[in-house]
Formats: sequence, C-alpha cells, structure tokens
Amino acid sequence: MNTPVAQRFGSGQSVRRIEDPALVAGKGCFTDDVSLPGQTFLALLRSPYPHARIVAVDSAAALALPGVVAVYTGADLLRAGLKPMASQPMFPGPGGAKAPQTPRHALAVDEVRFVGEAVVAVVGTTADAARAGRDAVFVDYEELPNVVQLDDALADGAPKVWADAADNFAAEARHGDAQACDAAFARAAHVVALELVNQRLAPASLEPRSVLGSFEDGRVTLRMSSQMPSGVRDTLCNAVFGWPTDKLRVVVGDVGGGFGMKTGAYPEDIVVAHCTHALQRPVKWVAERSEEFLSASHGRDIRSQAELALDADGRVLGLRVHTQANVGAYATATGVVIQLLIGPWVTTSIYDIRTIDLKLQAVLTNTTPVGAYRGAGRPEAIYIIERLMDAAARQLDMDPAEIRRRNMIRPEQMPYTNAMGQTYDSGKFESVQTQALALADWAGFDARAAESKQRGKLRGRGLASFLEWTGGNVFEERVTVNVSGDGFIEVYSATQAMGQGIATSYAQLVVDVFGVSIDKVRIVQGDTDRGSGFGSAGSRSIFVGGSAIQVASKRTVEKAQGLAAEALETAPQDIEYVEGVFRVVGTDRKIGLFELAARQADHQVFVDSTSAVQAPSWPNACHICEVEVDPDTGVVEVASYASVNDVGRAINPTIVVGQLDGGAVQGLGQALCEQMTYDRGSGQLLSATLMDYALPRVDLVRSFKTRLDQSTPCLTNPLGVKGVGELGTIGATPAAVNAVIDALARAGAGERAAALQMPLVSERVWSALHGRPA
Amino acid sequence: MSSLTLEVNGQATRLQVDSHRLLVEVLREQLGLTGTHVGCDTSQCGACTVLLDGAPVRSCTLLAVQAEGRKVTTIEGLGGIGAERHPIQQAFIDCHGLQCGFCTPGMIMSTAALLQHTPNPSQEQIEHALEGNLCRCTGYVNIVAAVKQAAATLAQGTKP
Repeated sequence: MNTPVAQRFGSGQSVRRIEDPALVAGKGCFTDDVSLPGQTFLALLRSPYPHARIVAVDSAAALALPGVVAVYTGADLLRAGLKPMASQPMFPGPGGAKAPQTPRHALAVDEVRFVGEAVVAVVGTTADAARAGRDAVFVDYEELPNVVQLDDALADGAPKVWADAADNFAAEARHGDAQACDAAFARAAHVVALELVNQRLAPASLEPRSVLGSFEDGRVTLRMSSQMPSGVRDTLCNAVFGWPTDKLRVVVGDVGGGFGMKTGAYPEDIVVAHCTHALQRPVKWVAERSEEFLSASHGRDIRSQAELALDADGRVLGLRVHTQANVGAYATATGVVIQLLIGPWVTTSIYDIRTIDLKLQAVLTNTTPVGAYRGAGRPEAIYIIERLMDAAARQLDMDPAEIRRRNMIRPEQMPYTNAMGQTYDSGKFESVQTQALALADWAGFDARAAESKQRGKLRGRGLASFLEWTGGNVFEERVTVNVSGDGFIEVYSATQAMGQGIATSYAQLVVDVFGVSIDKVRIVQGDTDRGSGFGSAGSRSIFVGGSAIQVASKRTVEKAQGLAAEALETAPQDIEYVEGVFRVVGTDRKIGLFELAARQADHQVFVDSTSAVQAPSWPNACHICEVEVDPDTGVVEVASYASVNDVGRAINPTIVVGQLDGGAVQGLGQALCEQMTYDRGSGQLLSATLMDYALPRVDLVRSFKTRLDQSTPCLTNPLGVKGVGELGTIGATPAAVNAVIDALARAGAGERAAALQMPLVSERVWSALHGRPA
Repeated sequence: MSSLTLEVNGQATRLQVDSHRLLVEVLREQLGLTGTHVGCDTSQCGACTVLLDGAPVRSCTLLAVQAEGRKVTTIEGLGGIGAERHPIQQAFIDCHGLQCGFCTPGMIMSTAALLQHTPNPSQEQIEHALEGNLCRCTGYVNIVAAVKQAAATLAQGTKP
C-alpha cells in the first residue's frame, strides 16, 4: 500500500531536520567560515573606563605599523556623515517630562559610557596586524564618575550617565488604575509583598557575532550572523548612512544561536559597512568572546516591588508592581519597550486579575545596553506573578496548584482581554495544569521527599502556570515560491533561522500543500536582495512565517492550476491537483507540476506572496520542577522536570520539544547559575569570560518529561500554531526558584528563602537555610 | 615561519606556519577545515575540540607547531557529506542533539574520544567527558542521548 508522501513528510510529524547533515559534518556555513580574496580584518579598541571624556586620539603609531590599512575614530565617522542610532522614541521621562536623548555613535564621540564601548576601529591586512594596530592607538581619557548599579544611579547626587537625564531616568510608564488598586488592597484579607530581582544575563550564543563586508559595483554587502537581516539593512541605510536601501545587501548563512541578542543593528555592523565602503575591499570582524560579553546586548536586569491583594479564599483582588530596569548606558527602543510594555502585557498571565497598578522606570547606568534576550520581558513578568502566587499559597496555607486554579481565566471566558488590553484567543489553563500535575505526580511528592530525606537531602517542588505573548506584533510576511522546471520547489522567506530548524518545519508545510516529497523542497533565507521582512524574533517564525508559507504555497498551486488548464485545454475548475500532478477530473489527461513549470516561457511557476495572520499567539504551559538541596553545601540539584505545553498544533513535535527543553535549561541557568556582574566603583565587568559567567553545563538536568497539548489550536492564524521558542525559558525560572524556596520552607527557613534572589548558587542557599553567612 | 609536518584526517600535510599560530587558525585558515569552530578564547566552550593522536584537545589553545609529527582528526575527518556518516554524527541527527550546530563538531569530537576508550559509558562518564563542551541551544539531554545511541551502534558494529 502506498503511503502518500504528504503523510510521510508533512506537518505534525517528527521529520529529521534537513539542516543537520551539513552541520554534523562540519560543513555548515557560519559567517567566519567565509573568506574573500583581498580580505582585511577589523579590530576595535574599546573603552577601558565605564565613563570618561575622550580628550585625544593619536593613531600615528598605529598607522606606521606594517599591515595597518586604516584607522577610524568616532570623529572620522561623524565627518563622513554617519548619524548616531537614536534612543527610544516611545516613552516619556518621569512624570511625563520629555525623555532624555541618548544617541549612540558606532564609535564613541567625546564620551564613553560603558566599559567595552567601541572607540577606535583599526583595519589591517591580517588579524594580527589589525590587533597590533589597535594596541598602538593611544587614547587620552579623562575619567568621569560612574554608576553601574540601580541604587547608585538613583541615589541623591549620583553621577549622571547623560547630562540631560534627570536622576538617570530614561523613561517611565504607568499602566492600570492606581486608585482602584489602592481600594483593592484596602479591602484585601491578605497581602503578600516581595522584592524580586531578575538579574542581568548574557544571551551568550555559542557563535560570537561576526560580519564580513564586501564592495562591488558601488554596493556594500554584509555577510553576518543576524536574526533580522532586513532590519540591519534598514537601520544602516535609513538611520545611519543615508543610503538608498538598495545600496546595502545583507546576507546571512548559518547562525550559531541568537536568543534575541542578534536582533537589530550593532555599532560593529556600522563600522564594518563604513570601512568596506571607504576602502572598497572586504573587511571581516569576528568578536572575541570577551568582546561579546562587553558589547553584545545583555538581558533582564530589573528589580521589582511586587504586591498581591487577595480575599479570604485566595482570589486575587489586585496586583501592584513597581519595577526599575537597569537599561545600561543607552536607552534603546528594544531595551526600553521590553520592560515598559511587553513584560506588562503578560503580567496578569493566565489569571483573571482585573485591577492592576504597574509603574515601570528605565534607569541609565554605565553598563552595556540591555536588549532582547529569550523571552524579553515575559520571563521577568511571569517570574514576578508566579513568585507572588507561591508566596500567597504559603501565607494562606493553600496548595500552590489550587490557588492558581482558583484564579485562572476559564475557557468560556475566551476570547479574554486582560487588564493591559491584550486579547487571548484561546487557552485551557486549568486543563493544562491538571495534566502537568498528573505528569509530575504532584500528589506523590511526600514519598519522594521522604526518600530524599533518607539520603540527607531536602526536596522541594515548584510550579509555574503561565502564558506568553509571541509575535513582535508584526504579522505580515512575504514569501516567494518558485516551482522550477528542473524539478524542485524553492521557497524564500525573510524570517531567519538561528538553530530552530525553521527550514525543516517550513519544508513540511510546503509538502502539506504540494504533496511532493520533502527532498524536492528547498527553503532559502537570509538575503535582503530576495525579500524583506521583520526576521525572526519573539517566537514569530512558525505562526507568522509558516502561515505565510502555507498561503503562498496554496496561491502557487492555484496559479499552476490555471496554467495546467491552459496546457490541458480545459477550465481550471475541471482540474484536480494531487501529489504533484494536475489531472482533468475523471480522465487520464494529466500533467506533472514540474513538467508544467518546464513548459513555461521562464521555465518556472513563480509567485510573490504577502499575507498576514490576525493577532499574536498565546502559548501557555504548566512547568513543574523538583529539586534536592544539600543542607551541608547548599548545592541545588534538579531532581525532575515535567511540563505540559499548549503550543497549538505542532508542525514538528521533535523540534518543538527541543525548543521547550533547550529553552528550559536557559531558564534554569537564570534560576541557578548565571549572572552578569559589574564591579561597583571601578565599573568593570567581572563576568567577561566563560570562566566567570556560569552557563549551564551537561550535568544540570538529566531528563525532561515534556508533553504537548495540541487540543487548543490558535484561532488567529491558519495553521493553528502558537509560538514556542521562548515558552520553556519563561516557565523554568519560576518553577525552579519556587522549588528551592519550597525545599527551604519545609526545613523551616521559609522567610529567609523568600528573600533569596537569583541565581540560587550554593552560598546563597546555604546562608538562607542556616541563617548566617556562608 | 616554521615548517610544520603533520597528519590531518589521514593526509600527510606539510606547510609553512607562523610559530605563534594556533592549531585552530591553521586548520581553518590555511587548510580550509572550517568545521572546527571558535566559540571562546579561554578553552571553556569546547567548540574547537579536535583529536590529537586520538586525544581530545582544544585547538584554540594549542600552537600549531606543537602538533609537529602528530595526527590531527577534525570533524571533517570523521565522515559526513561526501563520505559515509559516522555513527556519532548519525546519532546526533537521530536524537535531535543539535540545534544551531555551532557546538556540534566539538561535541562530536569529544564523544569520539570518549567512545574510543569507554565504549559503553555511564551517564556520569558521559557528563565527565562533555563537561568542557558548552551548548546554549539543546539543554544537553538530547546530546547525552546521542552519545548513548552512538555507543550502542558502535558496539553492534564491533560484534563478531
């Protein structure tokens, strides 16, 4: 019996990734794998000071070195007409005042504002020559007072990061109804209050950023590692260089992880483009790991005073959160909107909380600018509400699952518009939690805790029930489909893979429509000459880009059907299309899809399709983590991890689960080990290598029980899918921290445990457990 | 410049190198073997792992001249496109043990070294062998599964 190809390789199945054969053979094509004839190398001299005035730059010694081709300063770039990248345009300053402007030059002009800020660019014929040149440049700095921590930036008389930023505030937002919230707290039977810190993190993709510029026929091409090729092109052309957009082409090959950090344009991209344009020859820059820690955008870094008002039965009456976000030395649009708007969109999460009072302030410090990092605002917001829920359960002596259940939005309330005006199309939150409780054997915890105790370990359990918003609120995508007479279907999408297996999932969607075997499908991404789009961020690729692929594929079949009708001399409605063949219904007259393409004048059937989904997707999940704490050392071990995830329909379940589990380990990294640390006083970044920044290693988690609940399709896109890239990261952090606090609370250290801040490293856990410094 | 003679992926190779050149630079830039990646500069991430006389080394921390007269095996020498895929490479595909693929060559080479002397490794032995290889995408669980599958496949292949 023949199994139709669509069933064998279409969506809904765990097809092996088409990306993998090249990658496991070492035949990937990452940016630094490409070299061009006559290529030069760029090295950047970076500020050793957190805050200083640039008095003078002397490049003479560098220029005298053999192999040094050119040296550029910020002043040189200004003279060449480059404009700085603008600061966030969306939010006012405190109290509605005008927000301070923090224009960012690709190379610092007059002042440096964080350690690692690029100051001088040196181009050499070899990487060694460029580095030697960099080391020979002399910059005279006049050191200025600095602040790297929130408290110091907000203290009376604090040094100012920017002269016109009063009290170092960059922006402020207020959401909800403060008066109504005050009233809710006044009538509450219970109030829980926590101070919660989402510490600063490094996205730390394994592949450092890298850019290779080349010049041909008056155009600059940047081959680079980016999630948003079109965005980089547009920022450089429109905002920085004043070039027409067709003067710059951005090409992206394999991307070795992005996690939000490779969204948008960086100063280094601008410098490479400028050097390439000025020298009219190839220029390559590859970040060293320490440069990445110093200059690639960081994530999180907020401190929140969070309060929940509840009635006697544990129903939430009001939520009040006051957050201060350390956004670094430049108030970028991304860094500010993540904390002031995107996080707040999900602050009430899956709960029916109508009354909120959110105050959020973005604070400038002499640190690396903060931008997107996997989850971008939602991990912070969900951490806050899920910590509050656990604290409330403890105060009311309720089961953490039960207090959540009581407050959940019910399926019959869908579509549900939350207190921030965001509308959830679907979700069965109680069902998801109930399934997760069963999967994790929540009820059997006591027996496992007793067994742990016999081994001298303190066991705790933590859960997080939550949702998130996905999509970047950019719902349109352009796709081109080319059915070639040579026997393959090439599909171009301007979304951008960075390891998520997008090509495989897209190919499965193409197979669904065309019914041809998957090896006839080629997915192409990463070339602004072939199409523009928002790129990949905010877990939007499958539900926006995938939907656009499906629409484009259907439009192509439709167009081909018309051509087939002509070829077969009949009306289109008399033709049926099945698995690569057009047939006149009820006859044996037929023509193959590729044969049809070969007959066309241009040897192809080509469709340029733009389509949109209606709204963001709202994936949701319940993640349950159990930990064992060693009371003698404070070391935390993840004992088990179970999750049930409503991701709508899964195109490739293996890829989806891979996203969830890999994402969860990043979330566990925030909970248990990762932290970017600046030295107060010197302003130096202390965690600037992989020796000092603790990424999760192979022994952090030994297994995952991960289930998909596909029974609740998203109603606002044709595929019924929900974004999945960030869900695991968002759930894991509160689940793990709640578990550690639970373990300590069971040992009688609940109050001290509730005051713990991430990462929950052994020293902090031991101190909380024993009530004294380790 | 120094003259360097070594065996790379079974091929006797002779070339002129600057004496301060790192092995990874020579592999990537002079021999075009770009499957070996550089993810850090401090021997922490393991993306640059290659085998030197069968033992895993960080090619970013070894001078090329230190490989004089020795056998270097890179990911390209293990198999894959244009050659039969090695069971370890196949296992990483089968177990979804990679996402972005940047750490993967190093993971595979560390695994190859482990399985040479420990054909049936325990969970702890796998963790020990891979503790110097960082992955930011997968969460590692599927990588460990891939190592176990590869061990099983190789064990079958060596049965009489």
